[in-house]
Amino acid sequence: MSRHPVDDLSGPQQLTLVLLRTLIGWHFLYEGYFKWLQPAWSRAGTPLPHWTSAGYLKAASGPLAGLWHGLAGSSWLPTVDMAVAIGLTLVGLSLLLGLATDAGCVGALALLAVFYLSSIPTHGVHEPGSEGAYLLVNKNLVEAAAVAVLLVFRTGRLAGLDRLWQRPASPALKEATA
Amino acid sequence: MNLTPEQQDLGRRTFLKVLSGTPALAALGASALLKGPVRGGPVRIGFIGVGAQGRVLLGANDPAYGTVKALCDVNPGQLQKADAVLAQNNQPPARHYTDWKQMLEKEDLEGVVMAVPLWMHAPIAIGCLEAGKHVLCEKMMAWDTEQCEKMRQAAAKTGRVLEIGYQRYYNPMYQAAYDGIIRTGALGEVYHARLVWHRNGNWRRQGEPPSPDYDPSPWGYPSFDHLLNWRLYWRYSKGLLAELGSHHVNVSNWFFGATPEAVSAAGGVYRFKDGREVYDHVYATFEYPGGRTAVFSSIESNAFDDYYEMFLGTKGTLILKRETEAYLFEEGGEHKATAVEVAAKAAGPALQASESRAVDAAPKAASAAQTVVERRSASRNELSRFCSAVRVGQATACGPDRALSSARACLLANEAIEKKARLTV
Repeated sequence: MSRHPVDDLSGPQQLTLVLLRTLIGWHFLYEGYFKWLQPAWSRAGTPLPHWTSAGYLKAASGPLAGLWHGLAGSSWLPTVDMAVAIGLTLVGLSLLLGLATDAGCVGALALLAVFYLSSIPTHGVHEPGSEGAYLLVNKNLVEAAAVAVLLVFRTGRLAGLDRLWQRPASPALKEATA
Repeated sequence: MNLTPEQQDLGRRTFLKVLSGTPALAALGASALLKGPVRGGPVRIGFIGVGAQGRVLLGANDPAYGTVKALCDVNPGQLQKADAVLAQNNQPPARHYTDWKQMLEKEDLEGVVMAVPLWMHAPIAIGCLEAGKHVLCEKMMAWDTEQCEKMRQAAAKTGRVLEIGYQRYYNPMYQAAYDGIIRTGALGEVYHARLVWHRNGNWRRQGEPPSPDYDPSPWGYPSFDHLLNWRLYWRYSKGLLAELGSHHVNVSNWFFGATPEAVSAAGGVYRFKDGREVYDHVYATFEYPGGRTAVFSSIESNAFDDYYEMFLGTKGTLILKRETEAYLFEEGGEHKATAVEVAAKAAGPALQASESRAVDAAPKAASAAQTVVERRSASRNELSRFCSAVRVGQATACGPDRALSSARACLLANEAIEKKARLTV
């Protein structure tokens, strides 16, 4: 395997990249897990409202709005709900474990792109259910940028199960790249 | 105890004013720690006994918390009425049973809500607990203390929830009064509580058997009257002290933070000598540690006083009436008022009495003007909390220990009447 510039990163640089990947992985995994968990109760003893993507799809704006509005009222809705839960869970596991990390990053970027394009903040005011005011840049976009960093730095090489599939570089190759 | 409209207004405002300055827990469960969610849908419930009280609980079920899968009653007529309650609340119909054991065998239930005659509380509750079901059993806990103990042991052994249905614990008004007035010491030292449940009627229910050939004897009732009016016979019932008094004694136990040490009582069948066995007039004095005394009276010959709990302290008087009205009077205030003084100060007994009758004649209008809480909310909270206990292990308010304490005192009061003696607990 060829030597990659990421192998020359300092310890703290590697650590923070893996930390970033772990946090984003957990974020995706828990979002997926929570949707799988339904129906569920809070520990305070209250039944939680059943999750479905219907509300999100109905409120969608931007270039995909027409498609999402149609899906929200269609018989495909349960399939969409399941696909979102599966996608989030798989991406989360990938990033958390460092397993097929590149594919996980691409999946995360795809999901985040869909989420962003379905709800681009163009008004710059507090939206219901949002904890901040956003104009063009929201947390989906920031997280997508962070995933892009994980992808280009090939963080699966730093830590994670992907390393099991890495073959040590041959002495000849090492010499050539030294 | 009847208050003039001005006194009611003052008392209610003082009650709410005192509460507003305290972190009273108006919403039950607000202090629960937040942790990760628990998987599961509404709790699968079966109802055993869907007479009048069973149907109150059935109607209070929040479908987000519990799904009623099955109904059981030895009287088919009650099952039909229960169906109507479910339909009225837009809940799907439930399967019918006359035998609770068969219901447990055939249905995949998690919890059981029981509102059956008192003598059947222990056998059915213990049977359900041993079958692995959680149980919400109507009050009083059981027919005697030995049965209460067995219920407590069954709950401990099986690790299942056993909650006894004293809905005042789930009434936000009582919770707020306890947190904001009793615990803060707003009443000063409280040496006396007056517990009153006065009615003017024979307590005898009228009804037809579900069919002319209906025979309740397989369930232990020699006639339909015994099934319908089980409250009037010692074999099934413990009379006014169990059906009404135990509610009050639970409140005085709660607010005093203690249980009675001794009981003396009087009573008898004075008015309705119609073959009933349980007393139609009961007067009991419950002695608590620290020189505190609660006096309970329940009569069936005059409804002027209605029903309430009154706590009389050195700094003030708290009145919780009809489970929906709350009044607080500061001692020495301009409108100093106790029950006796209100009656004496009124422009005329006739006027006061007619106001009372007007209230009785139009309870809805009166409640709209005077209540601080909806009566129905207590049963709804109670049932929802039971479901929360089943699903996430949330603590309930009146488990076997609390319920046994009040049952023991009320049973002892019946014994004191019988023996004409002062009995120690």
